[in-house]
This record gives sequence, structure tokens and C-alpha cells, in this order.
Amino acid sequence: MLKVDRLTVHRGGRAVLQDISLTLQPGRTLAVLGESGAGKSTLVAAVLGLLRPERGSVTWNGAPIARGGSALVMQEPRAAFNPRLSLRRSVLEPLRAKGLPDDPKRIARLCDGLELDPACLDRRPYQVSVGQAQRLGVLRALLAAPPLILFDEPLSALDAMTQKHTARLISALQREEGFAALIVTHDLGYAAAHADTVAVLRAGVIEEAAEATAFFGAPQSAYGQRLVGAAVSLGALERRAAA
Amino acid sequence: MKQITELLLRAAVVLSGTAIVTFTLLWHAPGDPALTIAVARYDSVVSADIVDQIRAEAGLDAGFWTAFTHWVAPLLSGDLGNSSVSGRPIWPELRTAILLTLPLAFIGLGIGLAVSIPLAALAVRHPGGWVDRGAVALASLGAAMPAYWLALLLILCFAVKLLWLPATGAGTARHLILPSLTLGLGVAASLTRILRSALLEARGAPFLPALARRGVGPRERALSHVAPHAAIPVLTVLGLELAFLLEGAVMIEVIFARPGLGGFLIHAIQARDFPKVQAVVMLTALVFVAVNLATDLLYRLVDPRIGARDA
Amino acid sequence: MRDLWPVLCVAAVLAALAVFGPFVAPNSPIAIDIPNRLAPPGGQYPLGTDAMGRCILSRLLYGARWSLGLAFLVSTIGLLAGSLVGLLAAMGGRTADWGVMRVTDIFLAFPDLVAAVVIAGVLGAGTGSLIFALTVTGWMRYARVARGIGLGLETRGHVVQARLAGLSAPAIARWHYLPALVPSLTVVWTGMLARAILGISALGFLGFGVQPPTSEWGTMLLDARVHIRSTPLQMIWPGMAVVLSVLAINIAGDMLRDALTEKEAPA
Repeated sequence: MLKVDRLTVHRGGRAVLQDISLTLQPGRTLAVLGESGAGKSTLVAAVLGLLRPERGSVTWNGAPIARGGSALVMQEPRAAFNPRLSLRRSVLEPLRAKGLPDDPKRIARLCDGLELDPACLDRRPYQVSVGQAQRLGVLRALLAAPPLILFDEPLSALDAMTQKHTARLISALQREEGFAALIVTHDLGYAAAHADTVAVLRAGVIEEAAEATAFFGAPQSAYGQRLVGAAVSLGALERRAAA
Repeated sequence: MKQITELLLRAAVVLSGTAIVTFTLLWHAPGDPALTIAVARYDSVVSADIVDQIRAEAGLDAGFWTAFTHWVAPLLSGDLGNSSVSGRPIWPELRTAILLTLPLAFIGLGIGLAVSIPLAALAVRHPGGWVDRGAVALASLGAAMPAYWLALLLILCFAVKLLWLPATGAGTARHLILPSLTLGLGVAASLTRILRSALLEARGAPFLPALARRGVGPRERALSHVAPHAAIPVLTVLGLELAFLLEGAVMIEVIFARPGLGGFLIHAIQARDFPKVQAVVMLTALVFVAVNLATDLLYRLVDPRIGARDA
Repeated sequence: MRDLWPVLCVAAVLAALAVFGPFVAPNSPIAIDIPNRLAPPGGQYPLGTDAMGRCILSRLLYGARWSLGLAFLVSTIGLLAGSLVGLLAAMGGRTADWGVMRVTDIFLAFPDLVAAVVIAGVLGAGTGSLIFALTVTGWMRYARVARGIGLGLETRGHVVQARLAGLSAPAIARWHYLPALVPSLTVVWTGMLARAILGISALGFLGFGVQPPTSEWGTMLLDARVHIRSTPLQMIWPGMAVVLSVLAINIAGDMLRDALTEKEAPA
């Protein structure tokens, strides 16, 4: 179980995150919602252990998360891969870093699950589509089977059709693999469709944390109500445009 | 304010480091320094007693750090020490040498600016045109031309063949012409190259057509928009040119047998008069650090973003 | 890449000169022929002889091995040392970066050629101290470039991913930093190669470099200087050799830079 306990992070002498506490069970999905500048990316970096918090701790089953114990799917799919290496090299990096052998069967199965042509692996990052690159990013994150995977705005670089498709593939794989997913996003539709629990982050502070159904049904905080309200009215506009 | 403290701290670290590195190098130089001093002083075979006496007198029998403090403590109060060969204070001699090198450096820089500014300005009027190509070719040739060979060619032409100017020596203005011409042409080559690309870049800046449409005249565009843009590379260059001037002066003074800073340094090395070598090194480092400090501060004035990025 | 053939040609010609020069030399570079001293070009000595009657063309060709070969050696050692230092600064955290950059500042606080003259002069003439002097004063530009690019890579997606995967620091340096450094460092290397040629000949000219009777372009100029009145041609040849090789390398470096930046652009 992931436990973020009273995490406070300072940057440039200012608190970017303040007293953040979250929990996440294996196999479940937590969506952290917030506008840009709310501290979402800092939260991701802190959970991954990329920066040292001022106070507080991040643990998995009571112990600090070791390198390779978590993985990240990034917002910019192509930039996540070294342009000078083949995608296969990059995708295999987590296995090689742990000294594990390549696992062609698992790669084939995951490629199948992600609807990826295995031939993609022999190309360079700029030779595949953004959607393919993002699914390759998911493949890399999953390959060494870490118990926790973070998704930092995983869909925002994709077009609407690809977004839905990719989100469904990730959910299906999560049921199969059983990893815990922490998704950081401003996309309420995505969170509503796939998250089990929701936390609302605003200016470095958790405004509200709840089960997804409860939150989207009746948000408790004033900010949560505004967020959900805005999403509903936008949805109405979309429907009108479609009709 | 915090940035200025950091810059001053850096300057102090660099100067102390230079002192330590220089002293270490000279301390570990091959040969017995006491014997070298003795030979230089008495110009004949000397007894072991005299060598030991010199060793004690120069503080050479103490350890590295003792000797180092012996040198640095007076240095901090501006005392460059005495020549180990003649025993006389270094500063008066060094000052004479510097006063011979300064006019050479300034006239050289002046020639460099006088040639490169009009050349670069003419070159960028028609980029790719024949003036531009000629300027680039001259700059490339100048960059590949060692100062000492250019000096020899100028001597061959003006002193040996045409008999217009003296080949070597110092004292009169005529003696200054060939050395400063050598230096100036070298400076001109590197300045032309850098000025040309700075001007080209500034001219191509995307905001210029917009300014023109808003009715800002060409004169104001050039003075208040292009010039500040080109200022950063020019500032960098002036820092670099200082290195070039000093480097050039060392070689050029040796060739023209001018007893300036370059000649002073080379003679000190050849005589193994290490206090003199240390004095030149520390003085040069001081000037360099001061100029770098000034450029860093000016950068922050010209482009506020630089300070912000560092913080 | 198709535009790089002139660069390759220059590299091939200079390498051939350094490697095969001695085999095509008409005479021994150190054979003394007093009756024919200061001979004009022609006959047995295509470019004439120096004050000891040694064949100038042969000395030039043998000298290429020293002038070009040593320059290659010096700039390559500088490349390795400097990029290592730069990577250390970029990857080692803030404190390491500050320390490493101040050390670099110390070495930059002095014009490199003057520093090389001091070091070579103090250590005593000879090839060893020449190599040492030029290497010690020639690694800083590599370090700065490597550090600059390295710092920019720190937050790149693929570098973050490599760190998350638990890849070791040397492996990250090898696979994620080095490939990104190669183009710029190659361009710096050509510039430093040209500088090394100038430095070697300058030290030779001051008498601090390669020692006689070995022929090297700078020492040949030193020999020729005395005879500027009687046989001025003698000082033209070694100077031309220096200027032409430096010019060729600089032009090749410019072309290399243009080709590499062009190639980098779409990525």
C-alpha cells in the first residue's frame, strides 16, 4: 500500500506542497486533480523520490520505495525516450538496470494488450506516432512489474480518439497486472471514468479526498464543487456541438 | 546583492587557487632553486656553504606551506617580493615593463577596432556578397596566422626589404609601429568574425520588422534595439580580447626584442627567477579576474534574465 | 552527411602527412651538409637548406609528425579529461558542480598560451613538458561545453526515466549523456586541435618545445629567423605549413558544425 504521510516540499523557500497525506491500495487507481501550478508535478517527483521533501514521508508497505520500485508514464511521450537509442533499448532499460534478463514472452503479451506492433520497438522515438510512443511508455513502465505506477497527465498530448482508447487499454492492463495507479491530471472526464478515489489539489494543499463516486456525485469542498460544476457545463456544451 | 557576494567569493577562490597552483608548480620544478640562484648571483662555481646560506635566506629549507605563507603574506599587502637573482624589488622593474606593454596593447586594440568595426558593418550590408566573403576569408586567415609568423613577415617586408622601419628594439614611436600592427591585425581578425555574426543575428531579430511597421526609424532601431542585442557578444569578446592581447604581446615582444611584460616573463623563466614569474602570473590573474567580474556585472545590467537564471 | 566529404579529405590529407611524410622525404631531416648550407631551392634540396645544410623539405615532412601528431595527442587527452570533468560537474549535484567550476575558473583565469609557456618553461624544455603544459591548459573548454549540455539534460524525460529505472550513474553517463555530447565536443575538438598546432609551434619558437635536432615547424621558424636577411624563404615554408593546416582544420570544423547542427535540427 502506498502511504504519503504529511508531505511538505519547499522550492525556492516557498512551500509548493503542504501536509499532503494520501493512501492507495494495490490494484486501485487514485486520481489527483488540480489546475496547472497546483503542485501536481512536484507531488509526482516527490512520490518517485526525485526530490527530497522538507518533512513527511512516502512509503510502500511501510518501507521507502527503492529505485525501480515505481515507474512513471510522462506527459510528453516522445521526450521520454532517448532520441539516439532504439525504442527497444529504452523500453528494456528497467529490466537491464535490475540485471534481469529480457522477457520476450512478456513483451509480446504486453504489446498485444497495448495493441502495439512489436516492430515499433526497432524504430526511433521520432519514427512512431505520439499515441504509439505513449503506449510504449506504458509498456516500459509495466515491464519490470513495479507495484506502483505514476501517470503524469498521460493523455493530454494525445488526440481525443486516442485518449479514450489508451485509457481503456491502461485500465484493462491494470486489472490483469494489479499495479496501483496514481494519476495526476486536470482531465475530470478521465478521472470520472477510471479512478477509484479522488484527491483535489489546490495551491499545494489537498482540498478534498473521497471515493470517486461520492466526489462526482456530491463534492464537499467549495473548490471541488466549482471543478465538477465547470466540467458538467463543458460537457453540456460538447453535447450541443455534437448535435 | 546575494549575487554580487557570490561573484566576489568566486573571484577570491580563483585568485587563491591561482596562487596555490602557481606556487605548487614552481615548488616542484626540476632543479635545486638555491643552486640556480647561487649560479645566477655569482656567475661561477660556488661552495656548498653559500648554496645552503641562500637556501635558508630564501626560506627554501622550510616546508611547502611555510614558504607559501612567506610569499603570500607580503603579497596580500601588495608587496611582490624581490628577485631571487638580483635581490632587488620586483615591482619597479615590472612597472617599467608594463608601461612598455600598455601602449602596444592599446594601439593594437585600437587598430583592431578601427579595422573590424567598418569591415563587419560593410560585410553585413549584403550578407554573402563579395565584401562579406572577403571579410570572412580575412578573418579566417587571421585566426590561423600565428602572431610570430605575421611579425616575421612584416619585418621581412617593412624592415628588411623596404627599410622603412626598425626591425627590433623599443624607445621611439617608430619602434612601436610594427609590433602594434602585428597585434592589431590579429585582434581585427577575431573581432571581425564575432562582430559580423553578432550584427547578423541582431539584424535578423524578429521584432525589427514590427518596429519598422510601428514607424520607428532606422536610426533609432539601430541604436536602441540592435545595439543592446549585440552588446552581449561584444562584452564577451572584450574579455577574450584581453587574453589575446596579452598572449600576442608575449610572443610579439620576444620577436621585436621589446623589454615589455612578455620579455620580462620569458627572461624570468629562462633565468629561473621564480619570484618574478609568480609576480607576473598573479598580476595577470588579478587583471583577468577583475575584468571577468566587471563583465559579469555588466551582463546582469544588459540582460536581467542572466541573474534570474543563476539564482 | 553528404556535405562532409571536404572535412574527411582534410582529415585524410593531414593524417597522411603526419604518417607518411617521412617516407616521401627526399633526404634525412638531420643530415648536415655544410658546403651546401643556406642553399636556394632546387636540385637535391627542393626547398633549399638551412644554416647547417639540412634539407628544409625533409624537415618539414618529418616535422609534420611532431606538429600534427602532438597536436592530435594533446587535444584528444584534453577531450577525454575535459568531458569527464564536465560530466562530473553536471551529474554530481550542486556542491560538486560549484567546486569543479571554480577549479575550471582557476585554469581559465589566465591566457592559455601564456600559461603553457610558463609551465613548459619552468618544467624545462622537452616533449614531455610540452605535452603536459598544453594538456593542462587545454581541457577547460571541453569541460564547460560538457557541463552546459549535461545540465540541460538533467530534466529531460529519458534521463529522468533512466534514473527511475535505477540505472547506475556511469551507465546513465554512457547511454544518455555521452551520445548527446559527441557532436558539440567534436566541434570543440577541431578548434582545440588548431589551437594545439599553434601552441606547439609557439612553444617551439620560444625554444621551450620539441628540442633540436628533431625538426618541428616552430623550431624551424626559430632557426630561420636569424637568416631573415640572407634567406627569407627559409622562414616562409614552416609558417605556411602552420597556417595552412590550421586554416584547413578551422574550415573543416566550421563545416562539421554546420552539418551537425543541421542534422540535429529536426530531432
